[in-house]
Amino acid sequence: MSMLMRLLVRYRRAVILTSALLLSFLLMTMQVRQETAVVTITRQAILLLVTPFIKVAAATIHGVTGVWRDYVDLRSVREENKRLQLEVGTLKRRLDQLEEQALETQRLQRLLGMRQESQAQFLTARVVGKDATNWFKTILLDRGSLDGVRRNQPVLAPDGLVGRVAEVTPTSARVQLLTDPMNAVGGLIQRTRVTGIVSGNLGAGARVRYLPLLADVVVGDEVITSGMGGVFPKGIPIGRISAVERRSGALFQEATLAPAVDLSRLEEVLILTSPPPDAEARAGATQPAGVGFESQTGRRP
Amino acid sequence: MNWFLPGLLACALAHAVLLGPLSVWGIRPDLFLLLVLLLGQRVSPEAATLLGFLIGLCQDGLSGGPLGLRAFTDSLMGFLAARLSQHLYTDKPLALFWLLLAGSVAAGSITLGLLTFFLGPPPFLAALLRVIVPEALYTAAVGLLIRWLPQIRVALTRLT
Repeated sequence: MSMLMRLLVRYRRAVILTSALLLSFLLMTMQVRQETAVVTITRQAILLLVTPFIKVAAATIHGVTGVWRDYVDLRSVREENKRLQLEVGTLKRRLDQLEEQALETQRLQRLLGMRQESQAQFLTARVVGKDATNWFKTILLDRGSLDGVRRNQPVLAPDGLVGRVAEVTPTSARVQLLTDPMNAVGGLIQRTRVTGIVSGNLGAGARVRYLPLLADVVVGDEVITSGMGGVFPKGIPIGRISAVERRSGALFQEATLAPAVDLSRLEEVLILTSPPPDAEARAGATQPAGVGFESQTGRRP
Repeated sequence: MNWFLPGLLACALAHAVLLGPLSVWGIRPDLFLLLVLLLGQRVSPEAATLLGFLIGLCQDGLSGGPLGLRAFTDSLMGFLAARLSQHLYTDKPLALFWLLLAGSVAAGSITLGLLTFFLGPPPFLAALLRVIVPEALYTAAVGLLIRWLPQIRVALTRLT
C-alpha cells in the first residue's frame, strides 16, 4: 500500500493529467449514444449556479449603459445653459425610453399577432445569454421548466424558426439554434416540395443537405419545416437558398441557406409549448416527439 | 489561485452577456482558455491541470457541446502552460502574442480532433478558417491586451 502511495506521489503529475483526460474522455463517451443522469445533473447544476448571475448581469448592463450614456451627455454640458441642456437631456431620455418602449411594443405586437394567427400555444421568453464557445450556437432563455418549458420544444421568432430547446433547468432553458453544427431540421423547399435536412455549418450559417441530385433548387427558394419527425410543425419559415452546390460524383446536392431570422440579434423569442392541432395530428400521431427524423439525424447525444 | 472563482465567473458572464456586441463575424475571444493559460503560468502543473479541468467543465456546461470536450482541452492546455512557464519566460509582446496564438490554435485543433472522433468529421476548412484561426487571433490579441494593460495605463498616464 505504501509502495503504491509512494508511486502515486512520485508520478502525481502524470497521474493527475491522465485522470483529468480520462475523465473528460469518459464523459464524452457516455454522451455518444444517449445522455446519462450524471451528465444531465452536471449540466443542470452548472446552469443553475451561473444563470442567476447571467440574468442579473444582463439586466444591470442594460441599466448601466443607460446611466453611463446620461453621464457622458451631462459632462459636456456648458454651465450657462445647464438648465436648458438638462431639460433637453431629460426630454431625450424620455424620448429614448418611449422609442425603446415603442420598439418593444412593436416587437411584442408582432409576436402577439403571430400568436393570434396561429392556434398554437406560445410562451414568450427573453434571451439572456449566448454560448460559451465559438464551436456551438446556442442561446440561454429566462424561462424554464417552472414556466412549462420542455426539452425539444420548437423556438420561433416573428420571422421564422430559431431552433429547439436542448436543455431545461427550473428557471432557464438552453436553445440549440438552427445554425448549430449538431442541429438537424427536416426542411422543405416551398416551391418544388423537395425535402432536405437543414443543419449548421460552423460559423457559416446553415446548409440544406441530402437534396436529390436532380431536384429543382434555385437561389431564392424559400425553405420551410417539413413537419417530419414530430419536433417542428410543418410550414415554419427557415430561410432562403443563397447558393446551390452540385459536386461531380456526389449522390446529393447541397445548398447554402440564409436563415429567415437574424439569429445574432435575438432579444425575445416564442417557445411553442403546444403545437397547432393539425400539426400535432400530422406530425405527432405516428411518432412521439424527440424520437423522430430530426433526433435520429441530429448528432446531438 | 485567488483569481480562480472570480475569473471563472467573469469569463462566464462576459461570454454570455458582454462579448456579443464585440464579436467579429460571430467570433468571440476564448476568455476561458486565456484564464487557463494565465493561471497556468502561476501554479504547479498539477494544479493547472485541475484548474483547467474545472474551467473546461464549466465552459462545457454553458455551451451546447458535449460535456468533457473543453474539460479535456483545457486540462491539457493548463498542464502545458504550467510546464512551459517553468522553462520559458518572455516579456516581449510579440513573443507573448505568438505563444498565445500557438496555444489557442493548439486548443482549437484538439477540440476539432475530439469533435471528429466523437461526432463525425465537421467541415475541416470551415472549422479552420471560420473558428480556429479567427478565434486564436482574437484570443491572442485580447490576452496581450490583458497582460499589458498595466503598462499601457502607465504609458497613457505619462502621456497625459
